[in-house]
Amino acid sequence: MPELLESTRMALLLLITLDPDLWEIIGVSFRVSLIAMLFAIPPALLIALALARLDFPGRWLLISLANTLMAVPTVVVGLILFMLLSRSGPLGEWRLLFTQPAMAIGQWLLAMPLLVAMLHSTLQGIDQRAWETARLHGAGRGAALWRLLGEARFGVLAAIVASFGRIIAEVGSAVMVGGNIEHFTRNITTAIALETLKGEYAQGIALGTVLLLLALILNLLLGMLRGRGQQSLSS
Amino acid sequence: MNDTNMLEITGLSHGFAARPLWTIDQLQWSGQDMVHLRGDNGSGKTTLLRILAGLDMPSQGRVRWRLEQAWLAPPCPGRVIYLHQSPYMFDTSVFDNLGLAARWHGLARSDAQQQARRMLAWCGLEKQGRQRARSLSGGERLRLALARAWLLKPRVLLLDEPTANLDALAIAEVDALVADLSRLGCAVLLSAHHTSLLTDRCRRRWQLVDGILQESVLVASRESERVLR
Repeated sequence: MPELLESTRMALLLLITLDPDLWEIIGVSFRVSLIAMLFAIPPALLIALALARLDFPGRWLLISLANTLMAVPTVVVGLILFMLLSRSGPLGEWRLLFTQPAMAIGQWLLAMPLLVAMLHSTLQGIDQRAWETARLHGAGRGAALWRLLGEARFGVLAAIVASFGRIIAEVGSAVMVGGNIEHFTRNITTAIALETLKGEYAQGIALGTVLLLLALILNLLLGMLRGRGQQSLSS
Repeated sequence: MNDTNMLEITGLSHGFAARPLWTIDQLQWSGQDMVHLRGDNGSGKTTLLRILAGLDMPSQGRVRWRLEQAWLAPPCPGRVIYLHQSPYMFDTSVFDNLGLAARWHGLARSDAQQQARRMLAWCGLEKQGRQRARSLSGGERLRLALARAWLLKPRVLLLDEPTANLDALAIAEVDALVADLSRLGCAVLLSAHHTSLLTDRCRRRWQLVDGILQESVLVASRESERVLR
């Protein structure tokens, strides 16, 4: 017990004194996850829009696929990506294994199904009158679609926030294709998972605190967005 | 085709082939008289209006609008506008609902704002300009929807049950706006269950009875009725 208290005290000290190693690790987490989100949002929006607005063969199959992929364990995504990116793998020439881009690709794969599924259900819920009203008032297809996104903005933001929360907290893929290399690919979750095993409790607690705070902030944000989203759908 | 007509319907039917909702062999409308579309619940009034707007496709037949010297099949965005029974308010301010339509109409930003302000004054919602459109009352929403449509200077307005759920005062306010539109040359076709100030203004009546559209022209107190088919 005294040991735990001491570690916690050290952890707070690390956070407060802006320990450069600690903040470097936090920086890697945010950089990788933000890049993954940046590349995931546009295609996910397009796919979700197509699933919500167009009736094409295989539509339900795609929706079920997105829902199924949401449940794939992160470590399995890591495993598949590891095999693809390893020297002898089909994408070995890219030389991406144990780099931040590899981690971002893994998180992109994890974010896509969640984003598509959540965006699809949000966009599906938009009143058909919105599209009809925009089109009859002279909006082109593009402008009308843009308006639909505007009508669903709270749901869209909620999907983005939830997906970001999922990927920044995942450890399975990051540890497999990132490798927890110090000053390079060590991020919050891999540091907690692997450094704690070496007895580095203080750093683990400090990083865990950052993740918890982030989870709290993201969930507060989600709650607010859900409230606003329901308000705007119900009227 | 007769060039004095604005709308021509030929062999139009909707529903299942064996049992169509309604059938309209021939129907013309010059657009000069306001039309009151009547019919029982489920007689297909909304469906007819939606087909005229081009939001739904008929099972059979043809609809043609004559607009700017050319016969066009619906939808005719910005020229033939349909307002839902409860008009859709975009999730923005009252002012921006007008601004959006103005931008879609192709106006530059400053012109769009100017137009939006003019229409806000026209429909009497100047004080509510910054309010969220969805917080408006039913009557105010309809006025805003009329202003948003009129901003595009459409030739035809199709109003689906505009007076349903409105009190007498709100109906009077809406009636004043519709009268204004009609006077300015916009053809108005509205469906309504109950008679009101607004339906009294209509000089032509289309009634859906047992899947057949009966047309009557109301001339002063005398009603001459012509049954189609």
